[in-house]
Amino acid sequence: VIRLALPKGRNLEPTLAAFRAAGLELAGVGGEARKLHLHLPGEGVEVLLLKDWDLPLYVEYGIADCGVVGSDVLEEVGGDLLVPVRLTDGHSRMSLIGRDGTLPEPGTQVRLATKYPRTARRWVAGRPWGAEIVRLSGSIELAPLLDLAEIALDIVQTGRTLEENHLVELEAVAPVAPCFVVNRASYQGHREILNDLIGRLEAAEVAV
Amino acid sequence: MRISATLPTGMAALLFEAARRRRGLEGRMVEELQGAGYSEVILPILDYLEPYEPFLTDASRSELYRFIDRDGELLALRADFTPMLARLLAPRLPSLELPLRFFYRGDVVRYQEERAGRQREFYQVGAELLGLEGSDAGLEVLRLFLHLLSMGEARPLRVVLGFAGALDELLLEAAGSQPVEELAAAVSRRERGGVGRGSPALRHLVETGLPDSPRDLGPRAAEKLTQLVEMRDHLAAEFPGVGLALDLAEFANQPLDPRLPGASGGRAYYDGILFRGYAGHRGLPVGAGGRYDRMFKALGAEVAAVGFSLDLERLLNGHAPRPASAAAGAAAGKEAP
Repeated sequence: VIRLALPKGRNLEPTLAAFRAAGLELAGVGGEARKLHLHLPGEGVEVLLLKDWDLPLYVEYGIADCGVVGSDVLEEVGGDLLVPVRLTDGHSRMSLIGRDGTLPEPGTQVRLATKYPRTARRWVAGRPWGAEIVRLSGSIELAPLLDLAEIALDIVQTGRTLEENHLVELEAVAPVAPCFVVNRASYQGHREILNDLIGRLEAAEVAV
Repeated sequence: MRISATLPTGMAALLFEAARRRRGLEGRMVEELQGAGYSEVILPILDYLEPYEPFLTDASRSELYRFIDRDGELLALRADFTPMLARLLAPRLPSLELPLRFFYRGDVVRYQEERAGRQREFYQVGAELLGLEGSDAGLEVLRLFLHLLSMGEARPLRVVLGFAGALDELLLEAAGSQPVEELAAAVSRRERGGVGRGSPALRHLVETGLPDSPRDLGPRAAEKLTQLVEMRDHLAAEFPGVGLALDLAEFANQPLDPRLPGASGGRAYYDGILFRGYAGHRGLPVGAGGRYDRMFKALGAEVAAVGFSLDLERLLNGHAPRPASAAAGAAAGKEAP
C-alpha cells in the first residue's frame, strides 16, 4: 500500500482532478469529507491530507511515500525529494509586484515583502539592486499598497487581485505548478507501483 | 539562576539509554571492522581550511563551520573524514605498506538549514581501503558496508549502486542548448518534464535507473555496468535482507568527463563505484561511499582508494517504523478543524 499525501484547502480539488484523470478515483477524499487519513484498499493507497508547508517534511521522513505540493513551497522548504512530474494548474507564477511598473534602479536598496524569504533571497542575489526581505504570512499585496515594502514577491494566478488593488506585475520570476514528489527510499522500494502512477499521470496529459 | 537545558539548533545530547544504545551499536561495528583487519585512526576535530579548498563544492562549502583562530589562521570544524584522511596520508604513502585498511569514528559538524529532524552534528563510523587495485577493493568495502548497515535496527534496508561518470556521454549528447548541469540535476530528481522527450535513452534511464541497452552509455561505462551487475548479483545472494538496486540516475550529478561541470552535491570526489544506503522509510541516506582515487591524485599521490561512512544517529533514531495500519486507523477518525 502506498501512502499518498495531498494538500488540504484550495489545491485539493485540482489535485484530485489530476489523479482522477489518471485513473485513480480516490473516492471519499475531498468534498464534504473531513477525514485527514483515509484507507482506500481498493485503490491500493492510504491518503493523508496535510498543509502544503508540512507536506514535503512528511514525504522526506517517509511518513508518506509520495505527495503533491506546489513548486513554490517545494522551492522554499527545500529537502531532497524526487520530483518526477509537475501537474498543470493554469497559469500560476511567482511574480514580482509593485505599485508602479518599474523595477528598482540598479544600486538601490528596497524592502521586499514575501511569504517565501529563502526563495526571495536566492533570487535577489542575482539582481543589480539589493533588498531587505520582509517575511509576511498572508495578504502580501497590502505591503506595497500601504508602503510596508516597495515591492513584493508572491504568486499571481489571474492577476485580478492585482488589478483590483492597483498593483502591477513587474516580472514573472518562475512558473508555479503542483508537483508530484516522491521519497527517495520509497522510490527504491515501490518503483513499479510509483512508475505506473507517474506514467498514468503523464498519459492523462495533466503533466508538463 | 535558572539555566536553560536547550542546546543550539541541530545539536543533541545522548543521555543514559540513548548513549548506551549508540555505544552498543558502535562497539559491534568496531568489532566487525577489527575482525575484518581494519585498524583504527583518530583524527582531530579542527584543521586548516586551505587543504580542503580544491574538494569543496558550493553545497559542501555552505555546510562548513569556519573561523579565524586567535593566531590568524583560517580553520574549519571537521565536516567530512575522507578528505582529512587523504590529506594526512598522501604525503606518507611511500612509507606505508599497502594495502592499508583502517577505520574511524567520531563527529562531523555541518551547517543545515533549521528544519525538523535535520541535525548539524553527526556521529559517523567509516572505513577506508587504500592500495588494492581492481574491483576486489570495491567488493570488499561494499560487503563491509552491508554488514555494518545490517547491524542497525531500522528496516527495510536498501542500497543503491552506481558509478561516477556513468551518464556523462548520455548527458552531453542530450543536453543540446540546455545547461548540462541542469539536465543532470533533473535526472537525479527524476524530473521527466525536465529531461524531455528529446532523448529516449535518457528518459528510459530516468524511469528505470538503467539504460535500455548498456551500449547507450558508451563502451567504457557499459563495461563498468556489466561488472557492477555481477557484483550486485553476488552480494544480493549474500545479503538477502538488503534490497540491492542498480540505479544510475541516483548518481547523475557525479560526472567524470572534464567537459562536464564539477560534481554537485555535498561530496564530489568520487570517481568509481558509488553506493548509498537507506534504512527504514526516511528519504535521506544513512550512509554512503565509493571510490575516490582522484582525491589522492589531486594531492600528488597515486593510490586506489575506496571507503564509506555511516551515520549512527540516523541508523538508530531517525528511522522509527511507520505507524502500523491499526494505529493509523485510530488517527483516521480525526477530523479536520
